[in-house]
Amino acid sequence: MGQTATEKILSRAVGRAVRAGELIYPEPDLVTVHDWYTVNVHDALAELGVTEMVCPERVLICTDHEPLAVSRQAAERQARVRWVARTHKVGHFFDAGRGGHGHVFPMEMGLVRPGMFVFAYDPHVTNYGAVGCLGIALVVEIVEVLACGSAWVIVPETVRVNLKGALRAGVSIRDVAQRLIAELDPDQIDYTVVEFGGPALASIDVDRRITLVNTPLEIGAKSSLVEIDDTARAWFNARGIGHDRAVASDPDARFKQVIEFDIGLIEPQVAMPPTPDKVTGISELIGRPVQHAFVGSCASSSLSDLRDAASILAGRTVSQSVRMIITPGSNEIARQAAQEGLMEIFMQAGVMVSAPGCGPCAGGRIAPLASGETSINTGTRNDPGRLGARDADIFLASPMTVAASAVAGCIADPRDFLRE
Amino acid sequence: MDWVFRGRCWKFGDHVGIDGDMAPLDMAISRETRLEVLREVFMAGIDAEFPKKVRPGDLVVAGKRFAQGNPHIQGLLAARAHGVGLVVESIPRGSFRNAISAGVPILPRCEGVCALVDTGDELEVDFATGRFINRTRGIERHFQPLPAMLLDIIDLGGYKEALRRRLGAMPSRAGSQAG
Repeated sequence: MGQTATEKILSRAVGRAVRAGELIYPEPDLVTVHDWYTVNVHDALAELGVTEMVCPERVLICTDHEPLAVSRQAAERQARVRWVARTHKVGHFFDAGRGGHGHVFPMEMGLVRPGMFVFAYDPHVTNYGAVGCLGIALVVEIVEVLACGSAWVIVPETVRVNLKGALRAGVSIRDVAQRLIAELDPDQIDYTVVEFGGPALASIDVDRRITLVNTPLEIGAKSSLVEIDDTARAWFNARGIGHDRAVASDPDARFKQVIEFDIGLIEPQVAMPPTPDKVTGISELIGRPVQHAFVGSCASSSLSDLRDAASILAGRTVSQSVRMIITPGSNEIARQAAQEGLMEIFMQAGVMVSAPGCGPCAGGRIAPLASGETSINTGTRNDPGRLGARDADIFLASPMTVAASAVAGCIADPRDFLRE
Repeated sequence: MDWVFRGRCWKFGDHVGIDGDMAPLDMAISRETRLEVLREVFMAGIDAEFPKKVRPGDLVVAGKRFAQGNPHIQGLLAARAHGVGLVVESIPRGSFRNAISAGVPILPRCEGVCALVDTGDELEVDFATGRFINRTRGIERHFQPLPAMLLDIIDLGGYKEALRRRLGAMPSRAGSQAG
């Protein structure tokens, strides 16, 4: 019997062939930790008497959850992060303003590549699956990897999702991603790797694949992967990024489940409070007033996402009753957005553009919600209190839907804003 | 650790949230890990009086996707602070891992268990063998226990203690240990 792509990647990480269900201690090609937690990691290592990380040259630390410190406390914390990165001789340190979102820029820069295995602190490391790199989050146990070089993992089974069909106008991969997690059975998905492939994949650029692999963890997936195809190879080649370690599931690999999903059958989708998988078609929610709109987060901050938002915002202005924030995923994305005129569109529309990184989605540190307010945004989660006030409502949708709603002042269907 | 818990049942439904229900999101964001702080808020998002009512050895029995949400450990450390055991129909694996990390005994896949209990029932649960008894109703079941290696981590008190032991057995890391 053949192996899944996940089994192949983890086999290389332990130096022997492994199968789903085995408890292993794989050695990662890269370890990632984000701003706030860096100091906790250092303190935890110090408490254990460990003064040196195993392979610090393979460690990536970035300041993305609060790049623009908005409090004295945050500034002090950033200073500590700098000190920790220096003290531990961390190989890849991206300080405030230096990279952007740690779940986005490492792919652009080729720091994560096909076939690699990454252990991370933060759960949304699954993003790296967009380029065929398996990312597994350990949260606090990342300390064990930094102290000992590995940590336990049970090799996950794989659920294969074959995408087919073509998107309708005004519908995006964000809508597909939201609809998918609403339809998949969480108990089937739990602890699996969701692997995307199928005939529609060729029409989905790498930017949008990031959105696709970002959402399954919200219903319990361990990680996600996209099959490496010609679209991906062209993306790597254009950036000079090597892809010689790319792996694919064997034709006779054992999948826990194979799902066919027609991306041409859906309308714009909106996730309602309190969880990202409580999803409905937009027609159910049109007209509900919003005061806050945001495009960004590790799920939807690519150049394609910004272009989608700009396609609606061009020549229009955000409603007087709405404040809108757009957060590019990386410095490079912000640069490209400026170069092709998207920033001008945002400024003319009355949008606030914030420093590349997580934006408001990182717990509402910037631009939070007041009591009783409603936000529509492209963040990853909509738990009560995620963006500040616990009694504020958060709806999640595509960049086009968010932009249309910001202009209308209420939840609006982006298809009504499309131009010829 | 004595793997047999004899205590009262506290029954919860499906989709208990790790943030908000089990512990406030604020404490996750501030990375609160002090057990004496977290014990005061355990399950208070659902029942504000719960931290005062629950006793060591009690069993929290819940439905599907217990501790769902962004896998923060605070709600599970709060469970550890009270010395309770968890018997759940399913748990997302991020929170499953955090339960092991926090040193909380758990039976993670107990299909249909909510139909076997009510809050206040007297339960006996053996986390090493998976034997589940509801003494109030005279019901006995067997569920899949954790692998021995994970019980071992819980027995040591969670991942930190297990990590200390692992480090101690790694002579190559001795040079980096100052104290």
